[in-house]
Amino acid sequence: MRGAVYAAVFAAACSALAMQPVAQPVVLTPLVQANYMLNCMGCHLADGSGAAGKVPSVRDSLVILSRSSAGRRYLVQVPGASQSPLSDLELAQVLTWMVRNLSAQSVPPDFTDFTAAEVAGYRGSPLVDVRDTRARLLQAAADRVAR
Amino acid sequence: MPDIPSSIDALVERLARNMAQRVSRRSFIGGVGALLFGTAGMPLLPVARGESTTPAGPNTATNPGDPQTCEYWRHCAIDGFLCGCCGGSGHSCPPGTEHSAVTWVGTCHNPGDGRDYIVSYNDCCGKSGCGRCLCSRHEDDKPLYVPFRSNDYNWCPGSKVGIAYHCTVARIVGVAK
Amino acid sequence: MNRTQRAWRRAALALLACICGERGWAQLPAEPPAVEQLPSRPTPHWVWVNDTSFFAYPDGRAFLVDGDSGKMLGMLSTGFSFNGVLVPKAGGVIYSPEIYFSRGTRGTRTDVVTIYDATRLEPVGGIEIPPKRASILPMAAAQVLTDDERFLLIYNFTPAQSVTVVDTRSRKFVGEIETAGCALVYPTGPRSFFSICGDGALLVTTLTDAGTLASHVRTAAFIDVLKDPVTEKGVRWRDTWLFASFEGVLHPLRATGASVKAEPTWPLFTSQELAQHWRTGGLNHLAMHGGSGRLFAIVHQGGPETREELGEEVWVYDVASRKRAQTIAMRNKVGSIQVSQDSHPLLFACAMENNRLDIYDATSGKYLRTVEPLGQTPALLVTP
Repeated sequence: MRGAVYAAVFAAACSALAMQPVAQPVVLTPLVQANYMLNCMGCHLADGSGAAGKVPSVRDSLVILSRSSAGRRYLVQVPGASQSPLSDLELAQVLTWMVRNLSAQSVPPDFTDFTAAEVAGYRGSPLVDVRDTRARLLQAAADRVAR
Repeated sequence: MPDIPSSIDALVERLARNMAQRVSRRSFIGGVGALLFGTAGMPLLPVARGESTTPAGPNTATNPGDPQTCEYWRHCAIDGFLCGCCGGSGHSCPPGTEHSAVTWVGTCHNPGDGRDYIVSYNDCCGKSGCGRCLCSRHEDDKPLYVPFRSNDYNWCPGSKVGIAYHCTVARIVGVAK
Repeated sequence: MNRTQRAWRRAALALLACICGERGWAQLPAEPPAVEQLPSRPTPHWVWVNDTSFFAYPDGRAFLVDGDSGKMLGMLSTGFSFNGVLVPKAGGVIYSPEIYFSRGTRGTRTDVVTIYDATRLEPVGGIEIPPKRASILPMAAAQVLTDDERFLLIYNFTPAQSVTVVDTRSRKFVGEIETAGCALVYPTGPRSFFSICGDGALLVTTLTDAGTLASHVRTAAFIDVLKDPVTEKGVRWRDTWLFASFEGVLHPLRATGASVKAEPTWPLFTSQELAQHWRTGGLNHLAMHGGSGRLFAIVHQGGPETREELGEEVWVYDVASRKRAQTIAMRNKVGSIQVSQDSHPLLFACAMENNRLDIYDATSGKYLRTVEPLGQTPALLVTP
């Protein structure tokens, strides 16, 4: 009986301690990821896969497009990017994060992060005919590989 | 137990004898069991935010309010029928509907813990409108020309099943501040 | 009975026979089955009450009401997530962009512009279009006719953004014009329109004579989208589009053809009224009476998050002098208004939250009548 009481007292003490409002560490979503969530994820989804026929997947195209200046310009000028409320620096960071985290294939070692200056240079002219430009760029990249 | 001070030992001995006289063994063990496993109506321990994959229970200190009401903090920019009233919950779709992945994502302030949460307002699609708990709020949303901030779109078009709109959830996906 | 008495008796019987034979105790004549037809021309006081049937989305409807008599004249059954009909001034037909699923709420989706005969309210044609029409809270800028009424333009959202072009003369789908990053359609001429972009700029689209894309030009931003965007429910007076911002700033855009210029803004509310939290509110919250140059706006008092709530007053502004001219008290809270375009205009008002149409004299503000019950979630009012 005494052992049971000791156990009960011990358990009660533990529960009482645990029920104190202990300040649990808050894990904020990293800013870059939060910016992706608020400005891009709704359509491009958490893994960049989009919706077939409606929102293109970026999982394969990000690496391809980020290899050429025309492709990088496209990634900045596509309206979802250029018109977003993000600053040039924030947009550069989100695009870099996307390439490094949403690509299905590994990011080539010669990939250079987007910079605020680069984004600012391209951003003034948002693209209107997105579909054709994207198709053209991906075709050109495929042609280069074939050669 | 030689290392326990004799005064505590004496106290415990007295407690044990008192309890043995007043409390049956079965009810005692039952009571202790409840304390140990937290089933006696204790408030839930604070969930490690952003880490846990178990949805936080409603009507708690850190998640105050009723998800079946329009005033629930997570509904700060929701526009549609609340899935919690339709067989779903604050974060899940009712049976037989598609949880449409494409949607818009906003932030709402949680008065329970003072944080700004990132909330994904996914539509549940494939059936006609649930028709219950219609809630239309507009904290910091934008017109149709800023689609990723707009709740005046039916967001079911991005689903596989089509634009039949049934209800809307408010799913936590991150913590902004 | 003497001869005079007999004569009187004969006359009385004849009279009685006459009366009874025609109207007295003879039966009512049989009625052949009949279907009403509308008069060939609408009166200016007709109004189409477009009901998006939010609680029964597959079953959209457009109700035709005679504003003078308060009678329902007929209706159209208009399919899934219905926005509104288009009534060309030329008359004869009504265009209705519609969506149908093969199994009601699922299956194969078909988008079609149904053409209805305007007097018989029967479908007489249909033009199939890409199944991409935006499913949104109803507004006028989602489906419009070019200024010469030759082309019908429909805003698509998949969520990719584009505009479907339909040739109403050949009754054929012409093509889909990509308008990435920009929404809705505001006509500026027979072959031009603008859309509003996510950064507050405008995209001006010009069409070839055949309705294909001729050019795309982006203007500079005319609003700060983050601080005080305009609602999508702009109205047009002559060559100027008028947009109201969330905080009650009126943004005029003078637009002719490909040229769209932002003109100086003016406030709908004095600083005192702003301090009292007056703002415009509702769904289709603005209406314009072209002849008198008066702008009607639903208003209420509330914080920024109340911008889509219903209002109990309509404030009327003289656009040329930029001054408030009148206050019209609403009998019921309303979210959508429209005015007829004649010289003795009616003001029509409804709300998705209620199933009724209220009618006022737009000049005096006098309440005239209510048509109820009417529809389920009436959202957009269209006058011919």
